[in-house]
Amino acid sequence: MNNRHIQLINVSKKFQNNIVVNDVSFEIADNEFFVLLGPSGCGKSTTLRMIAGLEEVSSGKIISNNLNITEEDPKDRNMAFVFQNYALYPHMDVKKNLSYSLKLRKTDQNIINQKIEWVASLLKIKELLNRKPSQLSGGQRQRVALGRSLVREPNAFLLDEPLSNLDAQLRVEMRQELILLQKNLSKTFIYVTHDQVEAMTMASRICIMNNGKVLQIGKPQEVYDNPNSIFVAKFLANPVNNILKSKIASRNGDLHIESLNLTIKNSDLNHLSEVFFSIRPENLNLTSSDQSHTFEVKIAQIENHGHELLISANLDVNKEIIYFRATKERTFSIGEKIKLNFDIKDLLFFDTITERIIK
Amino acid sequence: MLILSIVILAPIVLAIITSFYEYTLINRSFENFIGLKNYFASISNEKFIHSSIVTIFFVLLVVLFEFLIGFLIAILLNQVEKFRNIYYFILLIPLLINPVVVGLIWRMFLHPQLGILNYLISLIGIDPVNWLGDPQNAFITIIFVDIWHQVSFMIILLLAGLASIPEEPYEAARVDGANAFEQFRDITLPYMRPVIIITLLIRLIFALKTYDLIYIMTKGGPGDATDIISYYIYRSAFIGLDLGQAASMSVILLLVVCIIIYPLFKYMNRADE
Repeated sequence: MNNRHIQLINVSKKFQNNIVVNDVSFEIADNEFFVLLGPSGCGKSTTLRMIAGLEEVSSGKIISNNLNITEEDPKDRNMAFVFQNYALYPHMDVKKNLSYSLKLRKTDQNIINQKIEWVASLLKIKELLNRKPSQLSGGQRQRVALGRSLVREPNAFLLDEPLSNLDAQLRVEMRQELILLQKNLSKTFIYVTHDQVEAMTMASRICIMNNGKVLQIGKPQEVYDNPNSIFVAKFLANPVNNILKSKIASRNGDLHIESLNLTIKNSDLNHLSEVFFSIRPENLNLTSSDQSHTFEVKIAQIENHGHELLISANLDVNKEIIYFRATKERTFSIGEKIKLNFDIKDLLFFDTITERIIK
Repeated sequence: MLILSIVILAPIVLAIITSFYEYTLINRSFENFIGLKNYFASISNEKFIHSSIVTIFFVLLVVLFEFLIGFLIAILLNQVEKFRNIYYFILLIPLLINPVVVGLIWRMFLHPQLGILNYLISLIGIDPVNWLGDPQNAFITIIFVDIWHQVSFMIILLLAGLASIPEEPYEAARVDGANAFEQFRDITLPYMRPVIIITLLIRLIFALKTYDLIYIMTKGGPGDATDIISYYIYRSAFIGLDLGQAASMSVILLLVVCIIIYPLFKYMNRADE
C-alpha cells in the first residue's frame, strides 16, 4: 500500500466541442474522504464518472494502485458507484439488488448470505430485504444503494450527490452515518456534491471545481479560511460571504479602503487602485468604540434564523450591502446606524481582473 | 353509449343469434332453430379444422418472427442517435399502406414471369420461383409479406419501450460487472416485459384476423394452403352461402380472441393501479 491510491493526471473530457472537464489533476490518498465540490455543470460528476469508467477519458490518465486504469472496464476497477437517483434494479427485491454483483461474480451462496447479513445489519435494512425498490422510501433506497456498493468490498466508493434527493432532516442523519461508515470501513470515499455544508462537514479534503477546472484543493478549514479566488470565497459560505469592490488608495504606506472609509496600517497593496475584498459575516463584530478597522453601516434588513440573526446593512459610503451575524440578545431595528469591526487577518483581497487572491 | 351498442354490439348479437339458426343466403329466414348444430358441424368440419391449423401456424410464425426481427431492429435503432426521426418515418411507411395495396404490390413483385423478385434472383443465377403458385411456397410467402407489412408495428412499439428505460440501471449494472448479455437479461428484459406482453398480444389478435392479404394475394390457395380462418369464414358465408354456419365459426373465433384478450385486459387494469 502506498498513499497515492487514486491519481488523475491532466484528465480532460470533451463532449463534441464542449470541454466539460479541463485538465484536471489530483491525488487521493488511501482512506481519504475526498469531496468534489462545485456548482451544477462544473464537471465534478463527469470527473467522478471517468474515475468509475462510466465515461471515457478524452485525454489524460487515471492511475489506481500504481496501475493505469484509464482504459479499464468499470467492472475491473474494483470501485463502487452510488448514483444520485440510486439506480436500483426495480424488478429485483432488496436482497437481489444487494447480491447482484456477487452473483455475477459467481460467489458462493453462503458467502453472499453472510455479506448480505452484514450489510443489512450495518445499514439497518434487515426488515426490507424482501421488498421491491418501489415499496421503499427515499432514505431506504439510499441505504440499499449504499449497501449494494458495500457488499462488493471495493477499493474505493464513488458517490454522486447521494444525499441530494433526501429531505433536510434525513440528509443530516445520513451525513453522520456516512462519516462513521467511512471511518469504520477505512476505505477511500470520493464524494461529489454541490452542497458546501456537506463538503465542509464530511471531507478530509475538498476539491473545488468550476467550469471544468480545479480551483483549489485542501482541508475544509484551510480552504474556508484561505480561499484562493473569489469563486471559492463565495462558494464556501453559509449562507453568504461579503465580496465587495472598492477603490483603494495608498497613503504613506497605509491603505485606505474607500467603500469602508477606513485605513489599514502597513499594507503593501499600494500598486493597485481597485480590489475586491472579502470578509465573512461571522468575522464582523458589533462595536461601540472607535477602535481601528471599524466602519459604520445602516441596517437594511434583518433575517431571523432562529439561533441567530443575519443582518444586511448598507455601507455608509456607497450603500452597498454587507452582511453580518448577530446574537438575538440585542435587538436591532431597520434604519439603525451601527459600527462594525473586524480582525485584519480576516480581510482578504482579490485582484479585480484575475479574481485570484492577492497575497 | 346507445350508438356504441348499436354499432358494435348489435352485429355481434345478430351473428350469435344467426349461429343458432339454419340461415342461408338462399333461404334468409329465422324459421329453423337448430341450437348448437351449426357449432357441431363447424368443429367437425375438416376444412374448418384445416383452416384453424393453418391459422395457428400462420399466427405463431408471423408473431414470432415479427417479434424477433422487430426487437433486434429496435435494439439496433435504439443505439442510433442521428436521424432517428427519419428512421421512424421510413419504418412507418409500410404500416400506413392499406393491406390491399400491400397485397397488390407484392403480387406484382412476386409474379412468376413479370415480377421483379424473380428477375433479381435470376441475375445471380437462381431459377424463377413460383412464389404464390406452389402450396408450400405460398404459405411462406404470405408469412414473409405479412412480416414486411407489420414488423414496423413491433419495431416502433418496442423502440418506444426501449427508449423509455433510464440509463442509470445500465450504469449500475456495468459497475456491478454485468456484460452486455447480462445487462440485456437483467435490465432490458424486465423493463420491457409489459411492453413486450402488450405488443405480442395486440399483434396476436390482429394476426388472427388477417384477411385482406389472403384475399388479394392467394384467395386461400393454392388448394387450401393459405386458407386461414377469417378467409374461410368469408367463403362459407358468401360463396358457400351458409350464413348460419359461418356465423357459428365467427363466434368461435370471437371466443378465442376474447380468451386471448383476457390476460391483456387484466394486465392493463393492474398497470392502472
